[in-house]
Amino acid sequence: MKPTSLPLLLLIEDDPQFQMLLSTTLENHDYQVIAFAVGREGLLAARTRQPSLLILDLGLPDIDGQDIIRHLRQWSDLPIIVLSSRNQESEITLALDNGADDYLTKPFSTAILMSRIKALLRRVTKAPSGVNELFQVGALKIELTKRRVIVSGQDVGLTPIEFKLLSVLVRHAGFVVTHRQLLEKVWGAAYVEHSHYLRIYMGQLRHKLEADPTRPRYLLTEAGVGYRLCEEEPI
Amino acid sequence: MKFIGSATKNLLSQQSAGLSCQHGFWGIAIPLLLTAIDWPFRGLLTASNILMFYLLGVFFVAIRFGLWPSILASLTNAAAFAYFFAPPIFSLAISESENLTGLAVTMLIGTLTSKLAENVRHQARVAEEGERRASALYRLSKELAEAHLEQEVIGIGTRHLHAEFGSRNTFIFPDRNGQLCRQDDQPLALPLQSNNLETAYWVFSHGQMAGYGTDTLSNEPAIYVPLISTSGTMGVLALEPSDLRRLLLPEQRPFLDTYINQIVHALERVKSAEQAKQATLKIQSETLRNSLLSSISHDLRNPLATIVGAACTLDMDEDRLDKDRRRKLVTVINEEAQRMSELTIKILDMARLEAGEVMLNQQWYAPEEFIGSALRRLDKKLESRQVNILMADNLALVLVDAVLLQQVLVNLLDNADKYSPAGLPIDIFVEATPLGLSIAVADRGPGIPVDLQQKVFDKFFRVNAESAQSGIGLGLSICRAIVEAHDGDIQATNRCGGGALFQLYLPILGCPPSVAPEDSGLIV
Repeated sequence: MKPTSLPLLLLIEDDPQFQMLLSTTLENHDYQVIAFAVGREGLLAARTRQPSLLILDLGLPDIDGQDIIRHLRQWSDLPIIVLSSRNQESEITLALDNGADDYLTKPFSTAILMSRIKALLRRVTKAPSGVNELFQVGALKIELTKRRVIVSGQDVGLTPIEFKLLSVLVRHAGFVVTHRQLLEKVWGAAYVEHSHYLRIYMGQLRHKLEADPTRPRYLLTEAGVGYRLCEEEPI
Repeated sequence: MKFIGSATKNLLSQQSAGLSCQHGFWGIAIPLLLTAIDWPFRGLLTASNILMFYLLGVFFVAIRFGLWPSILASLTNAAAFAYFFAPPIFSLAISESENLTGLAVTMLIGTLTSKLAENVRHQARVAEEGERRASALYRLSKELAEAHLEQEVIGIGTRHLHAEFGSRNTFIFPDRNGQLCRQDDQPLALPLQSNNLETAYWVFSHGQMAGYGTDTLSNEPAIYVPLISTSGTMGVLALEPSDLRRLLLPEQRPFLDTYINQIVHALERVKSAEQAKQATLKIQSETLRNSLLSSISHDLRNPLATIVGAACTLDMDEDRLDKDRRRKLVTVINEEAQRMSELTIKILDMARLEAGEVMLNQQWYAPEEFIGSALRRLDKKLESRQVNILMADNLALVLVDAVLLQQVLVNLLDNADKYSPAGLPIDIFVEATPLGLSIAVADRGPGIPVDLQQKVFDKFFRVNAESAQSGIGLGLSICRAIVEAHDGDIQATNRCGGGALFQLYLPILGCPPSVAPEDSGLIV
């Protein structure tokens, strides 16, 4: 075993028991972990140790987790997963808008944490362009450059806005995209408060792409936060 | 009655300063008129006849205008009789002793009857005044009887005192710390200009009147009256009189006291009603706390006992357990922890909703969106169950807090899953109704007894408290709190063919904002 080749994860979590649990679990899944209970030390380690991913608890004793994200994003693309308590949708949304890549609300199962870490690390190792030309999940197939969308072998006609919305989600496939980010990327910065645009077009997309729009399999709602395009067919 | 009488006289004498001149005029004019009438018949009438006519005139004046005009009329009569009728005519001298005696007797009778008539008049006025006061008191007590709040009593008292005594009034009560403070929201157009809390405090602690026109601190512009109830002095009434006589005449005092007594009684009544209400609330909240404690101890202790026990066994007997047994214990810990987590979340949610901490983040959503996300959260649980969604086409967007609404649906679906036999379907109906958007979740379980259909939304209520289903009786209370925060309504009924049906209505609040249409066509 070559320890240096294992991906290095940075964990900033102030609860010692929870930190211990996460460290143990992560190490058990072949990651190296450096853990800190204080934001400042963690931030310093992010600069000096060059970790592959940051797991950040939003409620820290010394610095606001949001500040850490903002600070990091000034110079780094380090993937960030934030951990938060329930009923903090606005905090989560803010963290994502500040540049965090994904989130989990406590309590969560460690299995989900593992799959999120894997997905994020996989995205980093992809080509610098970052986007797969072909996206496929279940019966849904999307060819971005050809602007083709196929469901169960049938071509589906999308309006330009519907396609734009879908392509933003494809570029972040597997990750949550906030309402604000979607509105800004599809309609422009002037529309970030017009969330009803998003609801209507998302509804249209679901009617065209999902077998049952009330029980979507691909275009998932993260209530109060945003949307996630499912990357793997749920088992 | 007597003091009211003299008070009335005093009141009347002020009012009628202008009137007495007029009355005096009639006291002279009526005898002169009678003289003019009698003059042509002086040959036919005897002196005693003429004196009788004059006496009649005096009676009339006495009844109509009172004592002093009637005495004036008697004197005028005497002079006119002596001058015009008693020989020698056109002289005030009276030559015949018979006429002199007649005149003297007539004057005496006139004065006496005038006095009697005046008394009758006075009695009538006293009775009238008494009646007026009785009806004023009646109106006061009637209004006070209808008051339910301290502020209402104070408002009514202030208004009636002003109407009866012409004073500007302020009620001063001790606050929670025992400091006196005036009630600021006086309904009177002209609130009291000055009131001195030190004087009020003296009155409050001594239980005696003070201020303007009294023996104590008489340089104050207002009169301070203690409000003495059966349980001690409850406050102070400050009155700033526009006319001291109307307030402080000895005859007015009992009347003022009656007013104040009425107000104090009303204040006592509303206060004790308020205390009784507080006591009931306290009992209710204690009952609630007890049911919370028993519920928590039952529903959280059991999973906790399992977790602690399983973890201990794993810790102690790690080497002696085979792989299968270890696996079983770990699964048990995981499942029970999940159950505890769900319960804790529900308790915390309820506490947050109760504390009013939840701010609705309302946005326009398509109903299918929060229904879909609720179903996804229950994916695992509902895996083996058929869920039918009957949704009307073209439903408008609704203004809701999607996170909370999703919670409502998760709770309803979770209940439907828990309380209906496995394999039977769950149905969701969504439609627009005149009452708003209706969302119904229906199962094919045993349903809810009719008499419990309201109670199921109460906190910690469970139809079958001893049932094996884990639960704390908070899910539906949370649903109700959330739906009501949206100004909506939620009901539980039984559906045709068996099963429970929970239906919630969300009011349509305004029109959803419009979306600019896309100008270009479809792409392929």
